[in-house]
Amino acid sequence: MGNYEAVIGLETHIQLNTLTKIFCACRADSWEDAPNSNICPVCSGLPGVLPVLNQSVVEKAVLLAQAVRAEIHAISFFDRKNYFYPDLPKGYQISQFDKPLATGGYIELPIPRTADPAGKGYARHVRIHKLHIEEDAGKTRRQGERRLVDFNRCGVPLVEMVTEPDLRSAEEAAQYVIRLRQLLRWLGISEADMEKGNLRCDANVSIRPADSLVLNEKTEIKNVNSIDSLREAVRKEIDRQTRQVEAGKVIQAWTLEWDEDAGVLRKMRSKESEADYRYFREPDLLSLEISPQWKERILKGFPELPLDRRQRLMAQYRLPEYDADILTLERGLADYFEATAAAYGGDPKKVSNWLMNDVARLLSELDLQPAELRLTPVFLAQLLKLVDSGTINITTGKALLQTVHDSGKAPQVLVQEGGLAQVKDDAAIREVCLRVIAQHPDEVDAYRGGKHTLIGWFVGQVMRETGGKADAKQAGTVLSELLQ
Amino acid sequence: MEICDLTALEISRRLRSREISALEVLESCLARVRQVDGQPGSLDSGAGDNEDARKVHAFITLMEDAACSQALALDKELATGGDPGPLAGIPITVKDIFCVRDTPSTAASRILSSFHAPYSATPVERMLKAGAVLLGKVNLDEFTYGSSSESSAFQPSPRNPWDPSRVPGGSSGGSAASVAAGEAYLSLGTDTAGSIRQPAAFCGVVGMKPTYGRVSRYGLIAFGSSLDCPGPLARSAADAALMMNAIAGVDARDATSANVPVPDYLAALQGRIEGMRIGLSPDYFQITFPDAESGAYNQQALPAEMEAAVLRAAEIYRGMGAQIIPDVPLPNTRYGIPAYFVISRVEAASNLHRYDGVKYGYRTPQPVSELKELYRRSRAEGFGLQPKLRILMGMYVSAAQYSEQYYHRALRVRTLIRGDFEEAFDPHGKYRLDALLTPTTPSTAFPMGDVYGDSVLMQYADQLTVPANHAGIPGISFPGGIAADGLPLGIQLLGPDFSEDILLRLAHAYEQASADADWRAVRPKVLKEA
Repeated sequence: MGNYEAVIGLETHIQLNTLTKIFCACRADSWEDAPNSNICPVCSGLPGVLPVLNQSVVEKAVLLAQAVRAEIHAISFFDRKNYFYPDLPKGYQISQFDKPLATGGYIELPIPRTADPAGKGYARHVRIHKLHIEEDAGKTRRQGERRLVDFNRCGVPLVEMVTEPDLRSAEEAAQYVIRLRQLLRWLGISEADMEKGNLRCDANVSIRPADSLVLNEKTEIKNVNSIDSLREAVRKEIDRQTRQVEAGKVIQAWTLEWDEDAGVLRKMRSKESEADYRYFREPDLLSLEISPQWKERILKGFPELPLDRRQRLMAQYRLPEYDADILTLERGLADYFEATAAAYGGDPKKVSNWLMNDVARLLSELDLQPAELRLTPVFLAQLLKLVDSGTINITTGKALLQTVHDSGKAPQVLVQEGGLAQVKDDAAIREVCLRVIAQHPDEVDAYRGGKHTLIGWFVGQVMRETGGKADAKQAGTVLSELLQ
Repeated sequence: MEICDLTALEISRRLRSREISALEVLESCLARVRQVDGQPGSLDSGAGDNEDARKVHAFITLMEDAACSQALALDKELATGGDPGPLAGIPITVKDIFCVRDTPSTAASRILSSFHAPYSATPVERMLKAGAVLLGKVNLDEFTYGSSSESSAFQPSPRNPWDPSRVPGGSSGGSAASVAAGEAYLSLGTDTAGSIRQPAAFCGVVGMKPTYGRVSRYGLIAFGSSLDCPGPLARSAADAALMMNAIAGVDARDATSANVPVPDYLAALQGRIEGMRIGLSPDYFQITFPDAESGAYNQQALPAEMEAAVLRAAEIYRGMGAQIIPDVPLPNTRYGIPAYFVISRVEAASNLHRYDGVKYGYRTPQPVSELKELYRRSRAEGFGLQPKLRILMGMYVSAAQYSEQYYHRALRVRTLIRGDFEEAFDPHGKYRLDALLTPTTPSTAFPMGDVYGDSVLMQYADQLTVPANHAGIPGISFPGGIAADGLPLGIQLLGPDFSEDILLRLAHAYEQASADADWRAVRPKVLKEA
């Protein structure tokens, strides 16, 4: 078997989280709404209606274009893409064709060690071909002999972003979508939920000899609804093409559909039967002009991007790559980390540990964003300092996370109110230790008989007796002295 | 002369001085409708009798009851000293290409024959808000595709009130006929290549195509979206000004409407003519058309009486102190029709995509086995010949392999035509025109049934009007005499962007100056017979 390299380009459709649709005043989001309950004359294509562009769609698309370092064009145009389908009430989709909002740009895609066959990790430079704005179509559904149409999704704003064929494996394709999803949420411009169709992905796949630069005939994979499906569908298509070529057959330019339930690719159509969309300028909309002033307003306060921030967290706080990855999954978490680290002043890795484990658990249990916690970064920093100083022990500290959030009170206050401070008084600890020893003669004998590992058990008993407040280290010292 | 034969401004004055009631005005119009209109257009009209063939047939939907309630409500408001608006109590008709809430909005097509709009077009809404009484919706060429109104799926199609064996022009034929016959004072029409100005000329009324974007297109069932302009048909320039005051202005629902201040068009009628520069162009006194075989351009002069009427008007303006600038070149006029054929059909074919039998309008009653068959049958049965021709040509010239050769080339021609006007109207240029004075049409109204004939003058009926649509500039047609065949002649003025006020002033001045001319006393035949 020859050595082949996959060549993959991705076309993603991103649903923007605007309040209203792209050309009318209907709500943009109608998830779980009754069919055709969120429509108006404009989005359902009645005779005589006209589209009016939602400015916020442009602003969100510009943020994405900036984030992928694309060139944002001062003037772009809307075009009609003409075709017949029942879910397209006007018989044409308003899109952008030869003069899109933005072109060029790239994403510097980190491929993690775990996804690198060589186990080292590397970066893939993925160029963006273009980025444009368009409206979504509705949905059709079969019900026996009947075909039903739901226009709710008509006019939902989309950005279509197309990469160059720069991805080289199914795993890289999956990593691209993972990073894109992260970026969209980071920018706050899309919910980017693949299951809800907020983020949809088509993949163009071809293969070539590993040392070649030619672009061979490609196939297009549609209808992948999750990152796992994408990875699996692309992998299967690469395998199929490899088998074809090995068998001396030619790859044909098919459009393939991923069947989620069966886990197989099915041929939808061959490229020759593709429609001519008869694109022409949409006469109902003016050209889209983005003045320098408007662009400046849109980009004011443009955030540091997740991959940049990931690098900085590693450099500035000396965090391992793993921690930096986790902390930059969401912008809110990264903000929370840096605010806590600043207020704390101690070892940032300690903050990271608390965040990735205990605070993360709290967030997921409560289904909250970091900024919504009443356990603020300042409170968390105070709590860590209380642990550092030995005022409370770690167990008490962890239990306090939830209490601080529930009460909104400062950790010190809670420690005072609840008498939670660690018992460090030597006499008090000695008294409890003596009691424990008196109550467990068998274990004392065993210990003295050489089973020194029992020390941990004894410490546990002391902790239980003191309601967890004893300084465990100190209790251990006293116990081993008494048990001599 | 009946109440219904007065002008809208005069009616407005009498209503406000309580000399007359809105109901009386409406009754007068309704009496005229009963007298001259005959049966309204319908999908399954039998052959009319000889008498019916001499009627006007302006209407598709006559809204007698709703109009009466409106008139009564206005009278009540007037009686309590309220101000129901500048168009209060004035019966109007609306070309049935505009959506009006809860009325059939048919576009004169079988495919929309059952469509009731759930919303109203912006210019209609504005007229109603100004107090106008909506008398009904009037007939037109199917989807406005034509110059005679004969292609309507709703037959009989409108006749010319001056001679019912002639067409009223089109596509706003019902609008022009209803205003000329005294059925309504004002009508809202649309102009994509001359569809307001040409029927206005044929029926002896005033018709204005405003600047593109001056009047909102929201609710206008689209033909050529980049060319379509709603505008007034009226019996005088002043009435057209009154109506423009109501309908002009930016609309948040139409992104192509212009955010340019709207002057008071009525007040502007009184301005000066002295010192204005009015141009004449040789390119508007002939029809230039390509030979189908060789592609060479032939020329045919307009009938002498057309040119004479325009020159007479020029003399009148000269007498008022205007400067007449002869020989203004507008060399790309000749390409207006071919470019229009391409651009309008590309847009029309796309605009017609939505009529698919799925959501609203006509769906084939025959059983179908699959979706494409539903599309094919519904469209084959629902569309008449003219939409089908436009779809065929529009699809052809916008196909990927042809669009550069046809569509994009046509767009470049359009830019050239715009350039001609920019040069003529350039305030620092050689000609510095305030307006261009031309005939509106190459001929008077042609006989019914001749629309598919091969007369060049008829095929190129839009050659003098379509350049304004390409360029987006305003134009007005107003009566300029009676031709030897006894039919009205139209004179056209074209001006730079947003010069409606100047065009209305010039048309008004001509009306004043020719008020006592003999031809002004001649009335349409249906009125003489009535």
